[in-house]
Amino acid sequence: MIPIKYNLRSLVVRRVGTMMTIGGVALTVGIFVSILAMVNGLENTYIQSGEPLNLILLRKGSQAETNSYYDRSIKGIVETMNGVQAVSGEIVIIMNHPRVTGESANLIVRGISDQTFALRPKIKIVEGRMLRTGLREVLASRSVSNRFKDSRVGDSIHIGRTDWKVVGIFDASGTSYDSEIWGDYGDVAQEFDRPIYSSLLVRCADESSLKEVQQKVVDDRRLQMDAPREMEYFESQIGTAAPMKVLGYLVGIIMAIGSCFAVMNTMYAATAYRTREIATLRVLGFRRRNILLSFMLESLLLALIGGAVGCLIALPMNGMSTGTANFITFSEIVFQFRVTPRLMLTGLIFSAVMGTLGGLLPARLAARIPIVRALRTEV
Amino acid sequence: MKYLRLIFRNVVRNRRRTILTVLSITMSLFLISTLKTLLDELESPPLTPESAKRLYTRHKVSLGVMMPIAYREKIRSVPGVADITTYQWFGGVYKDPANFFAQFAVDADRLFELYPEYKIDDPAHIQDFIKERTAALAGVKLAKKYGWQLGDRITLKGTFTTFDVETTIRGFVDGAGAENTYFFHYDYFNELGNNAGQIGTFSIKAKSADDIPAVADAIDSIFANSTAPTKTESEKAFFLSFVSMYGNVRLLVTSISTVVLFTIILVAANTMAMSIRERTGEIAILKTLGFTPGQVLGMTIAESLIIALAGGLLGSVGARLAYSRIDFNELSQGFVAQFVVRWETIMMAVGISIVVAFASTLLPAWGASRLSIAEAIRRRGE
Repeated sequence: MIPIKYNLRSLVVRRVGTMMTIGGVALTVGIFVSILAMVNGLENTYIQSGEPLNLILLRKGSQAETNSYYDRSIKGIVETMNGVQAVSGEIVIIMNHPRVTGESANLIVRGISDQTFALRPKIKIVEGRMLRTGLREVLASRSVSNRFKDSRVGDSIHIGRTDWKVVGIFDASGTSYDSEIWGDYGDVAQEFDRPIYSSLLVRCADESSLKEVQQKVVDDRRLQMDAPREMEYFESQIGTAAPMKVLGYLVGIIMAIGSCFAVMNTMYAATAYRTREIATLRVLGFRRRNILLSFMLESLLLALIGGAVGCLIALPMNGMSTGTANFITFSEIVFQFRVTPRLMLTGLIFSAVMGTLGGLLPARLAARIPIVRALRTEV
Repeated sequence: MKYLRLIFRNVVRNRRRTILTVLSITMSLFLISTLKTLLDELESPPLTPESAKRLYTRHKVSLGVMMPIAYREKIRSVPGVADITTYQWFGGVYKDPANFFAQFAVDADRLFELYPEYKIDDPAHIQDFIKERTAALAGVKLAKKYGWQLGDRITLKGTFTTFDVETTIRGFVDGAGAENTYFFHYDYFNELGNNAGQIGTFSIKAKSADDIPAVADAIDSIFANSTAPTKTESEKAFFLSFVSMYGNVRLLVTSISTVVLFTIILVAANTMAMSIRERTGEIAILKTLGFTPGQVLGMTIAESLIIALAGGLLGSVGARLAYSRIDFNELSQGFVAQFVVRWETIMMAVGISIVVAFASTLLPAWGASRLSIAEAIRRRGE
């Protein structure tokens, strides 16, 4: 086998061309990984949301909390079921509110109960204090506070017809709740004149009682309720990431084809410059397949370096916060870009594919160079 | 101009390299054209003289909160308002949640007054629709997709309502988005909801497009201090508020396009650097013959221009042709009404090609044109 060092040195000799090709591949991989990091972050938000022993009770067929509403008497029925530890009755309202950038988006305003925090242990107040009931005080999530107007501690925010005071910021650690504003249930229900529950969050004692409660709720014809697990409820909204995914693959594939051509160009040039070298290698006893392999490796190396650089370019995107529409709840969902090791591996594989496809034809050409004629050529 | 032949010869002397470079630029500009078109279609949906006269009123808090139906008559009497209909989103499930399409409960007798661009399959069907309480009009594309016939009974399961809507198709509509929409009576909707008299959206027609801001202000000021204040916007602003929900699409598209642009410059620069390097000796000979550095530079840029423009035009015009064969309306179920690569996008692609040609050639060509003849001839073959 021809030593890899030969390829490395060849790449260094043609450093300008090598760098430009690496740059092209790097940008392609960088943009592909960045868009996938966005998809990944959004999907992860849905996957992370929800506690394993929680059920969420919604009106039958409503599909989302924002569509659901029912009589408050149902809470009493559910609370007395066997295996139920705690129930939190909540109301959600969609509110159109301006972002700091000016245009507005729909936010979820949730009226919370005294059980809300207990049933969602991941959520902590990180700034300010807990709200008090009856005083029109609200908590905003960290992400909402960064993205929307009037939602920092001490601000007064207009909800419905009145001004509410922001007294605290909560961190929902990357879950779907990070896109919400929380007020007291009584205050919110009164403000919007809706004495109903949108959802009941039910904590069950254990897995078997959870199944039992779930069965009981669905079978009870008085209730007319759906009772998905809280985790399943959020996972069912993952489809809202689909348009972004389509965009990511579209951009990735089109750019990859373009970069393949660029790699091919570089490798053809490499073959042309080194016609005599290749012939010399053949005279030294290296076989056609050694040449083929060597040039394939060179192309692969070129693309992989590009891929690695691309992943590095995408890395700073990690943790960047952005938002899009969740068309199931008809409100904004905030999420963070997530560049995971697995995603970077995908980027590297993606670049390897470009390198392999781009290197194949030039390498074949190199392997087929007729020795005698090649030695005679003047480069 | 007399050097055109020489320039062209240079373009085709390494045919494989030229083709690969052109194809690479083609792919990139195909992508940029696609993204630009996506942005165009989302941000500026086709405006017709009719749609320019329409406004929508919703509850100030959001579309998710409803208003009293009594607002209809109050709004009708606002000066400058020509007509009004309820326009209640229903979002029901037809058999399976995957069968998603737009459904609206409307004032049956007002629908065609507000939306004259909707075309009915048979004028008599408008009366059939108006007369019968449970009648419905189905978009032609929906009818085709689900195999609906005149007189079919369609049940839509409510999502935010406790009731289901059972309707009979009495006609088919087409045009301006109606092809993917299902219409039925608001009165029937209200009756199923125990005459609660709640409404999410009104569609309003102003007497003239110029009146729009005044009419919107007039409507909102009536209800400003009521229990259900309103927000009234032009049709364009109303639709753009849905687009802005997607987040910063413009930033996303702009950043992707910028990165793509840099990629093309790299690819083109690499090609030009390669071909200029190969030709160092030749350039020396040209200069020996009396060509000035400026002429040499000009010829190289011209060569690069031909390559970049070929790629740019292939990419953008190719995108226009490719997308004209795909029915995006059907593909996106009416979300994107059309997907046409506009001529200005193609002009933009041409502009980008010119920038790429200059940016990619200047550095390598500058070096080459400055090289002294003796040096250049010595370097030959390196």
